Amino acid sequence: MTVPGYHRPATVDEAVAVLAGTDGARCLAGGATLVAMMNANLAEPKALVSLAGIAELAGIAASPGGGFRIGAMTRHRDTANEARLTGTLSVLRNAARQIANPPVRNMGTIGGSIAFADPAADYPPALVAAEAEIEIAGPAGRRRIPAEAFFVDWYATALGPGELVIAVHLPPPRPGAGLYRKFARVAGDFAIVSVALAAARREGGHSVRVAIGGCGPKPIHLAEVDAMLGESFGKPEIARKAGERLAAASDPVDDTRATAEYRRLLLPRLLADTIAEAETLLETK
Amino acid sequence: MRSVPLALSINGQVRQVQAGLADTLLTVLRDQLLLTAAKRGCNQGVCGACTVLIDGRPQRACLSLAANCRDSTITTLEGLRGDRDMARLQGAFQSSGAVQCGFCTPGILISAHWLLKQEPKPSIPAIRAGISGNLCRCTGYRKIIDAVAAAASAAAAEAGA
Amino acid sequence: MTALPGAVGSAFARVDVREKVEGRAQYTADLYRPGMLHGAILGSPHAHARIKSYDIGAALAVTGVHCVITGDDFGDHRMGAFIKDEHAIAKHKVRYVGEPVAAVAAETEAAARLAARLVNVEYEELPAILTPEDALKPGAAIIHEDLESYFKVFDTGSRGNICSRTEFSQGDASAWAKCEVVVEGHYTTQPQAHVSLEPCGALAEPDAAGRITLWSANQSVFRVQANVCESLGMPMSQLRCVTPRVGAGFGNKMEAHIQPIAVKLAMASGRPVKLILTREEDFEIVRARHPFKIRMKTGAKRDGTLVAREVEVLLDGGAYADDSPGVLGNGLWFSGGPYRLEYLRTWGTLVYTNKLRFGAFRGFGNPQVTFAGEQQIDEIAARIGMDPVALRERNLVRGDDRWFGGTEVGSNALGKCLEQVKERSGWSRRAELKPSAPGRKRGLGVACTAHVSGLLATGAIIRMLEDGSIVLNTGAVDIGQGSDTVLSQICAEALKVPIDRIRLASPDTDGSPYNWGTTASRVTYTTGRAVVAAAGEVERQAKDHAAEILECAPADLELRPGGQFGIVGVPEKSVTFAAISARAHWAKGGPIVGTNSFVFDRPTFDPKRAIAIGLPFPAIGALAFGAIVVDAEVDTVTGKVEIRRAWSAVDAGRAINPQSVEGQIEGAFVQGMGLALTEEMVWDGGRLANPSLMDYKVPTALDAPFEIDPIIVESYEPDGPFGAKGVGEIGINGVPAAIANAVASAIGARLSALPLTPERVLGAMLSLPS
Repeated sequence: MTVPGYHRPATVDEAVAVLAGTDGARCLAGGATLVAMMNANLAEPKALVSLAGIAELAGIAASPGGGFRIGAMTRHRDTANEARLTGTLSVLRNAARQIANPPVRNMGTIGGSIAFADPAADYPPALVAAEAEIEIAGPAGRRRIPAEAFFVDWYATALGPGELVIAVHLPPPRPGAGLYRKFARVAGDFAIVSVALAAARREGGHSVRVAIGGCGPKPIHLAEVDAMLGESFGKPEIARKAGERLAAASDPVDDTRATAEYRRLLLPRLLADTIAEAETLLETK
Repeated sequence: MRSVPLALSINGQVRQVQAGLADTLLTVLRDQLLLTAAKRGCNQGVCGACTVLIDGRPQRACLSLAANCRDSTITTLEGLRGDRDMARLQGAFQSSGAVQCGFCTPGILISAHWLLKQEPKPSIPAIRAGISGNLCRCTGYRKIIDAVAAAASAAAAEAGA
Repeated sequence: MTALPGAVGSAFARVDVREKVEGRAQYTADLYRPGMLHGAILGSPHAHARIKSYDIGAALAVTGVHCVITGDDFGDHRMGAFIKDEHAIAKHKVRYVGEPVAAVAAETEAAARLAARLVNVEYEELPAILTPEDALKPGAAIIHEDLESYFKVFDTGSRGNICSRTEFSQGDASAWAKCEVVVEGHYTTQPQAHVSLEPCGALAEPDAAGRITLWSANQSVFRVQANVCESLGMPMSQLRCVTPRVGAGFGNKMEAHIQPIAVKLAMASGRPVKLILTREEDFEIVRARHPFKIRMKTGAKRDGTLVAREVEVLLDGGAYADDSPGVLGNGLWFSGGPYRLEYLRTWGTLVYTNKLRFGAFRGFGNPQVTFAGEQQIDEIAARIGMDPVALRERNLVRGDDRWFGGTEVGSNALGKCLEQVKERSGWSRRAELKPSAPGRKRGLGVACTAHVSGLLATGAIIRMLEDGSIVLNTGAVDIGQGSDTVLSQICAEALKVPIDRIRLASPDTDGSPYNWGTTASRVTYTTGRAVVAAAGEVERQAKDHAAEILECAPADLELRPGGQFGIVGVPEKSVTFAAISARAHWAKGGPIVGTNSFVFDRPTFDPKRAIAIGLPFPAIGALAFGAIVVDAEVDTVTGKVEIRRAWSAVDAGRAINPQSVEGQIEGAFVQGMGLALTEEMVWDGGRLANPSLMDYKVPTALDAPFEIDPIIVESYEPDGPFGAKGVGEIGINGVPAAIANAVASAIGARLSALPLTPERVLGAMLSLPS
């Protein structure tokens, strides 16, 4: 006998069908977020669609073309341990390994985490820096959108009614550095400010992508900042300018972790420090 | 919320419980099976007092829905009675002064037990990271870390290193 | 002679540790009784309001609900440790957001919580007073309108929204004229939550005679009994309080939480009722550490002699007095620091506000005043160009000195504590310390402190069973600090038996002698004393039997290891406890029972030496001492403070169980680190904004330094059991101060507000002239 309201589809199509056809149904991935909310009476779903039985959502696989596909149900621990995410893609490993703590990393999933879109979470800026794409399935079929377009607002994503995250797609790794610097009050806490930085050497300079977490409704990413850093990666005054631009584009709030003012102050400092660290890494390669 | 009979694999046995959609593994373990080693310290997955093994990995029983555990293997501290590595850890905790109020102890033992399986000779930083998901308010952690290190050394000595 | 297992001074594995590592230890939430119901409470949504009416119809209609109770079901009885200002549940008024207003007992916890949410209460909102300053303004809404009529244990000076006021002074104010250097400053400290891993809870069960047995998360079965009976208006004989294992307290569980409500639910339903708070409720409705506002002035001579200090404090007491008057008094009593001063005047006011009651928390006001005081000592040292440790060494209270107010200092190894941390930290070479990485600044900071081993009443009953084994009953609750083991060790040592022959009875108001509670670092010192005295009684009675059995005089006998008496100089002549006890039971004299009972009665203040107005504790206790050095680093990018290493030396007299003493020092350090760096309860209007472990952050194993060096310095307290004093709190008092001093040394700027958040530290660094 199944527990009333509990569904465990075997395929993505089944999951989409149940979600569409069941009033008040929600997806259950790792449970790290949803069950915590249920325990606090902040969510009372009438039905749950467990994604645990869907093979397509499991595992990290190499994609044709040299990139990778991370199934939505991949646990943070497995992403953190994935040796194939090298170079610029290490930004994702470095983010995953700093999420919470070991037991939570055994439970939480990349799909569940990004679907919640906590602006202080670790994957969003890392995925933007890694130039990831999010694959979504829903009643109207499947689609893929850049990570940057996926995170829309405070705890809001581009997922429409009845849609769920299927996988995260990563481009081929480039040799270089992929750093995730998180500043938090204590170990395992959500970020006050985080810097996700992917940098690779190229002809005439570097190819850089920087995204900032914890400073607004979604990760902050400015193409102009990527460009200026790409041209003059090592120069402190460029790092400073980059930090100022990003801080100006930020929209942090006061919360129990830190004030908005501190976040704006810290952002450029943390960025500069992360750039210096990346520089050292790139030089020693 | 209706509850119905549900079969779960717990400590090597199939156990019958009553579960509704929102019932967590933690409440089922404690209230129905009287397996009370796993504790409710926060019910939000932060404190770690509810940590048990699900499919061999430490996870939060308070964040696991009973219904969702139907295809999983669950092991609690009670189920590790007789496990030599756990016995060694428990002995080390006893002699190192690693236990004060004891409320965090079952969860920490689960995390430490798994850590030593992954890393039989962990460094101090690795031990600290391994138990970083278990809060303790009494000990300041030092003697807990010492106990885990002592258990690792004892295991190495037994293995005839 | 080889020491017996469990002898005093041995790091004996605790008597309760096996059940804890096996997961079999039973805390309140682990208890199940036949027919048990579950309880839940409804909390007030308002900070200050009159209760107009209740509608419990919808709640009663929920399937599985057995009863719903509100303030109307309780008589007008009040409880309170110093001022009896508190009902068992809100009655007529609510005074803080979350205050219990109604409670439900139901078949399941889910049903109870659902029903509680359905209780409809009509309120008339009143202006909410959220700061002590607002509470003191003329015309401010009065939180306790009947304050005048409340029973008060001492002369509190209560009026308006002033809960209590206290003032102590010793010496003459003309001493200020001698001061060549004066520092003055304002300091603020924040509310801290206990975060005991076990949330508060209780299980109450009526027996066949209608009497209630109450298990609860507690630090004193006797305080539970008193609070429940006072607030329910029932005779103490009708309530039996017992204790399961307790998952820490730190002060949170010393006075009542929801025990009176659980008892009422059991009486109303006729069934056992278990009520366990959620973590959120534990944050919101129990108690927390007082925030202090401190103005302090310290004066000294250029040669480094400390002369005078003046301290004024303002305490936010929250909605109910609880232990607050004691915290005010204790904080003031320690505000001079462990120094000889010619003049000390210290006073303060405790004010009601519409927030959660603030109450007992490890240190009891001392960490807060020490944060201010030990920074001022460093400031004076800087002004006169003297080493901060040398300045302290010069002025430490020593030898025949008396404490502020006249209390004799029995044993005092503070000088040795300071010397130990100075040596081991390499203090004299601190200028050579290099940061661990570029972009970091590093410094050492020192703090000295004293604390009480107190107070009030305690007892011990020791019985020799027929087989010669021993049952020890003290009523002292082990909340994890290890008192069960220490008291067993003391008894074992006193009677020279191996510890496994001692059985410690669990605290029970029916059978245990009165014990005020596990608080004020008092159990080893006061209860240990009673155990030694009761053991002496046992020895005397047993010796009389032995003398008759061996046909000699009692004076010819010696107590030998292993539970026997023998004739001095005649090894083969001996008789066992078993033989003695058999005789006592069956032939002559009656079963051997040794008892002792006392209340600490050495006066705190000598009116010939000092003035005390509003003294909450006329007889407080002995003194323990401590010194800390902290090695801290500041990240100049973020302002975050990291503790690399700490040395904490404690004079707790004699270490009965050295491993447990170390455990207290280490645990207190990390809890103090949380107070210093990351913990703060934050209010959003009248509502606590961060009542969850997601938002309120205590140190994890990665944040706490691995290198905490606990240093046991032994002195010998003449009144203490085998020379022991208390150690529960001494290790926390100096931590925020030592960290603040280390940060000041590292960055060249001093912070006067706790916690030392990265934002504050970075702000201080950036404000410095570059």
